[in-house]
Amino acid sequence: MTALYDVKNLSVDLTLPQGLVGMLLPGSKPKLNLLKAISLTLNQSETFGLVGESGSGKTTLARAMLGLLPISGGQLAFEGQPLTSSRSFTPLRRRAAMMFQDATASLSPRMTVGALLAEPFHIHRQPLPDPNAMAASLLARVGLPAAIAGRFPHELSGGQARRVGVARALALNPALVIADEPTAGLDVSVQGEVLNLMTALKADLGLSLMIITHNLAMVRHVSDRIAILYLGRLMETGPTRAVFARPAHPYTQSLIASEPQPDPRKRRTGPAISGEIPSVLNRPAGCAFHSRCPRAAALCRHTTPELRDLGQGRAAACHFAELT
Amino acid sequence: MTAPVPLLSVENLTITYASDAGPVQALRAAHLTARAGEVIGIVGESGCGKSTLASALINLLAANARVTSGAVRLRGQDILTLPEDAKRAIRGRHIAMVFQDPMTSFNPVLPLGAQLTDFQHHLPQTRAEKRTRARAMLARVGIPDPDLVLTRFIHELSGGMRQRAAIAAALLMTPDVLVADEPTTALDVTMEAQIIHLLRALRADHQGTILIVTHHLGVIGELCDRVYVMYAGQVVEEATVDDLYHAPRHPYTRALIACDPAHLETHTPVLPTIPGHLPDLTAPPPGCSFANRCPLVTSRCHTAPPPWVRLSDTQAALCHEVAP
Ligand SMILES: Nc1ncnc2c1ncn2[C@@H]1O[C@H](COP(=O)(O)OP(=O)(O)O)[C@@H](O)[C@H]1O
Ligand code: SF4
Ligand SMILES: [Mg+2]
Repeated sequence: MTALYDVKNLSVDLTLPQGLVGMLLPGSKPKLNLLKAISLTLNQSETFGLVGESGSGKTTLARAMLGLLPISGGQLAFEGQPLTSSRSFTPLRRRAAMMFQDATASLSPRMTVGALLAEPFHIHRQPLPDPNAMAASLLARVGLPAAIAGRFPHELSGGQARRVGVARALALNPALVIADEPTAGLDVSVQGEVLNLMTALKADLGLSLMIITHNLAMVRHVSDRIAILYLGRLMETGPTRAVFARPAHPYTQSLIASEPQPDPRKRRTGPAISGEIPSVLNRPAGCAFHSRCPRAAALCRHTTPELRDLGQGRAAACHFAELT
Repeated sequence: MTAPVPLLSVENLTITYASDAGPVQALRAAHLTARAGEVIGIVGESGCGKSTLASALINLLAANARVTSGAVRLRGQDILTLPEDAKRAIRGRHIAMVFQDPMTSFNPVLPLGAQLTDFQHHLPQTRAEKRTRARAMLARVGIPDPDLVLTRFIHELSGGMRQRAAIAAALLMTPDVLVADEPTTALDVTMEAQIIHLLRALRADHQGTILIVTHHLGVIGELCDRVYVMYAGQVVEEATVDDLYHAPRHPYTRALIACDPAHLETHTPVLPTIPGHLPDLTAPPPGCSFANRCPLVTSRCHTAPPPWVRLSDTQAALCHEVAP
């Protein structure tokens, strides 16, 4: 398998205006670190799940990968080409599409579906000889009738709006689609439809999918490999099935053990994890997870664990990863 | 032997909302019974009428809502027909509510201590004593620094702490019935697990009944004793939580469980779905509301309303095709 997108040792900092920083972090540099030491690879034709609780940096990572945010360290490469300057992102932006969270809100309310589907062509200055035929063919691909092209986003059901979002992402024949919480707010009976559609398109069109989500139960079934983020740090990555069968990082273990069980015979006895996610303004020293980790030892409080290679495509950033 | 009067019962409750397209039949002859000490689940997908039922229980229906028939009885007395001031006296004191968005429970411009004291206006104690009770309740719901939180505004707390504070506010009045509408839906999974654990712990010292309204079968499985499943404004099945998961009888209940990714034990890249969609609630079908999606449908399902079939002491379903 060849890498479609390679992220090495990525860091992203948010530059804060001087005054605000002075208030929040007296005496510190005007920067807030959002992501650090993130390394991952998206392969051709795979579904990659990016998992983490809110504030873990999932959307920031996606935006950095698309060149929508400046990076402050590390290397990015798409189809083998390093992405070094903002100009080097131009081909990527055409070959990679982002589906934003909350489909209806992200579709401009005053544009018809047809106009929304034509928009990517205008933005990327691509020829569009027959907008109606193109809209009809994109809609057909996502299982919607051509007549939908005349509707406005608020006239669509939740599932239809997501399908339009998928159609729009497919407009320029991307190699990569990054979907941010593609099923948030959808009922389970409709969630499956949207994900099955994306999985089928991935196979038909040979594209790669990155699904950003906090929904473990879903991503466990639809992704080939996953990465788990916590407070802007990569905690664990590997083939999805292996990670769920035997999570190596205590954070992954806690996340899996937190999922409520529909089967009352498998009720949890207590919460798997106590405390709250600390603020990025107050990141714990050492391992970012140590303040909530059931295994934390003295070492974890001052030494940041490196991402350790566990073999078979797995890696985890825990001092004790080999012991689980 | 006559059955004792249940703590709470909903009988034949029918509620419509005025809309441009005609009256939306949001609840149709909904019914349930809850005894003291029970945790009851109300589950179904969006638009099935869960929140309408919850608002009827606390007498906070939308302005365009109309109760066309039925009763909500607290210890046998219909609370829907009481005069306005008597309704207000019941709300909070006898029936209290926790919402998906905990901000709903609080005034954003008052510190929590003042509000939690005011909520106890009907109690004879002094303000200082009420503040002490408020502090004790915050500690009871797992807020680590209750003295500090009493001086804070709701927006200064994290999502998990806000929901804890809302639960504390609801419990201050030691209500007979606590209704929680999607209490964990806005939370990350580790916070959700903590709130589930808290609600479970609270039932030990709560004498009344807890009603959990949710679309999430995991929350039902972890928390509830008995469950009512709703579809298109109707209660379609009633069962113990164990029977609901292990021996569901209504075709919709079965389909809903089958769609839940958490229910699928083996890796399932193509997720099950429920093809079709909800009927239009301004003109519900004359027969079964689930008929256009049901795998067991027969011709009479399209023409005759299905009967409420009692299957055991604890289980019943609204379906032509179930038999005791
Ligand atoms: N204020 C309202 N006006 C008109 N229709 C409403 C109103 N509130 C809810 N509805 C409709 O009533 C039905 C039931 O809604 P609701 O009780 O909110 O369901 P749930 O909580 O299960 O999602 C839906 O069709 C919904 O669109
Ligand atoms: S009444 Fe008929 S259509 Fe309705 S759930 Fe039963 S079998 Fe299915
Ligand atoms: Mg609701």
